[in-house]
Amino acid sequence: MRSLLIATALLTVATPALAADGSALYQQNCSACHQPNGKGIPGAFPALSGDKFVVGDPKAVAATVLNGRGGMPPWKDTLKDDQLAAILTFVRSSWGNKAPAIPAATFTAVRNGAGPKAAKPMPGH
Amino acid sequence: MTLTRRTFLEGLGRIGGTSLLLAGMEAFGMGIASAQTAPPPLQGGGKGKKVVILGAGVAGLTSAYELGKAGYDVTILEARSFAGGRSQTARKGFQLTELGGETQTCTFDEGNYINHGPWRIPFHHRSTLHYVKEFGVEVELFNNDNDNGYMFATQGKGPLANKPVRKMEIAADMRGNAAEILAKVVQSGSLDQQFGAGDKELFLEYLKSEGWLDGKDYKYHGTDGRGWITKPGAGLVAGTPSKPYDFTDVLHSGGWRVLSSVSDWDQQRTMFQPKGGMYMIPRGFVEKGGVGEKIRYSTVVEKIRQNAKGVEISVVDDKGQKSVVKADYCICTIPLSVLKTIDNGLSPAKKAAMDGAAYAPVGKIGLQMKRRFWEEDHWIYGGHVFTDDMDIGSISLPSTNWLGQKGVLLGYYQFFANAAKVSAMTHVERTNFALDFGQKVFPAYRDSFESSFSVAWHRVKYNLGGWAMWSDEARARDYPILLQPEGRIYLAGEHLSHIGGWQAGGIESAWMQIAELHKHASAS
Repeated sequence: MRSLLIATALLTVATPALAADGSALYQQNCSACHQPNGKGIPGAFPALSGDKFVVGDPKAVAATVLNGRGGMPPWKDTLKDDQLAAILTFVRSSWGNKAPAIPAATFTAVRNGAGPKAAKPMPGH
Repeated sequence: MTLTRRTFLEGLGRIGGTSLLLAGMEAFGMGIASAQTAPPPLQGGGKGKKVVILGAGVAGLTSAYELGKAGYDVTILEARSFAGGRSQTARKGFQLTELGGETQTCTFDEGNYINHGPWRIPFHHRSTLHYVKEFGVEVELFNNDNDNGYMFATQGKGPLANKPVRKMEIAADMRGNAAEILAKVVQSGSLDQQFGAGDKELFLEYLKSEGWLDGKDYKYHGTDGRGWITKPGAGLVAGTPSKPYDFTDVLHSGGWRVLSSVSDWDQQRTMFQPKGGMYMIPRGFVEKGGVGEKIRYSTVVEKIRQNAKGVEISVVDDKGQKSVVKADYCICTIPLSVLKTIDNGLSPAKKAAMDGAAYAPVGKIGLQMKRRFWEEDHWIYGGHVFTDDMDIGSISLPSTNWLGQKGVLLGYYQFFANAAKVSAMTHVERTNFALDFGQKVFPAYRDSFESSFSVAWHRVKYNLGGWAMWSDEARARDYPILLQPEGRIYLAGEHLSHIGGWQAGGIESAWMQIAELHKHASAS
């Protein structure tokens, strides 16, 4: 239903997270595929634990999460920058990962810049 | 000036009007219906040449059926223990284990089911309907639009938000008010230069009929099409007409946002569904089409190789037995999301192109209700409850077993990030999540609930997503590369069509590639 998808653009996240809980948001939004332990499922969903890309260039990480890639949907319409920052900061400092936090400002900057375009959503079937 | 396709078509439109324009579009394979209505003739036949087909979804089944008829020696390798790919129907005993999730066994009563994959066939999907007819699959109408259905707007404001409002009311009030406002502007003369001689009067007449406007001031006072307070009956019961809502309330509710969805090309009436579930389509190929005996079930492709003489597919079966299947040609219908995780031996260009497709996370849940309260209490027969709560998407009422006792409704249908989110829940949590929303729409929802079956297609092994999506860039850059055969290997499936995510896309992609394969095989 195409128009339902158009309505995503109108979505505002109901509960403004004053101090967004990265761990809880990860479990809620990401764990279905990347798994609660960050190890993913081989052949299906990439591991985040010990992944070089995840602990690498913050801008590249932010662009990928905002715009989606492969089987991962774009998150820019459903999560706010402070929530995305909390999630990625959690991911980059969990399961043995030791990378610096990504501030919300990085997501905002990538969002406003000309990042790679997301796949065009299609209507339901 | 070179004659581009567009200028040529525009020229046709100018000279011959719409019918010639449409004929021209059909000639370019870009007609307004799904482009092909019948399988390609494979003249001369296959003369026993061997074709191995990877995947027994509708693309693989179509390839096997048509090539088999033409005399090719075909074998389908199917990872699952059943045919159909995503064209599945969950009924009693059907099992599904999502990656990282628990095993669900469907416990619906006999005769009840949910199409957790494709569920409706638009009238213009001639290719799908071709096989419906060919195999005598019994179909019934799928009600995709219900005037008496509800809208439930959660993002809007005011007295009409966060409550179920009948679609007929929202539709009538939006049309009526919009027509009234436009009629007033037209009457004021401020649009006079837009109109040719006599246009203005005709346009006003149209607005009057479109918006049920009364009198010289073109006022919208409501219409019986928005329903009644008390309904007309026998004797002296003339009925009490309903009154329009305050236009501001309708606007601010946001309910109108979903009105146009069912007018989209692939959502229009008429729609069909097979009686007994979408699985009847693959079953037609397997049983009536005789494709079943050509399928090796529970056979997982591990490696794809080819040389100048043929293709070699390394497989492993459910007992761990490994073997190699050799053939002259291969049609690979494995979704790109999965194919790229296999040792596929394809060129770097093909591999890079596969990354251009995104696969949609998609979630559905079927809820068996012990009583058809939507019919009995609300007079809603099929169609959808639309909502802008994107974690739900829509509730859909079944278009089968009308006026029966029980029924299975679709409790949510969500996509992308919303689907990823909901899929992190356990099946019981998903069920409760769906019930909580439905309870806001139908008071009898939770009390009537009996059992449920959910799917998150991105977590389904051998699919890893509901359907392929192409950005404009990837469609231009990567998609054409995948359409080209690589040596003796041809890719097919909904992902290689402009009818993505529909069975028609898989079928017509198969038609295209078997024609190519046949051309090559006939020349060699």
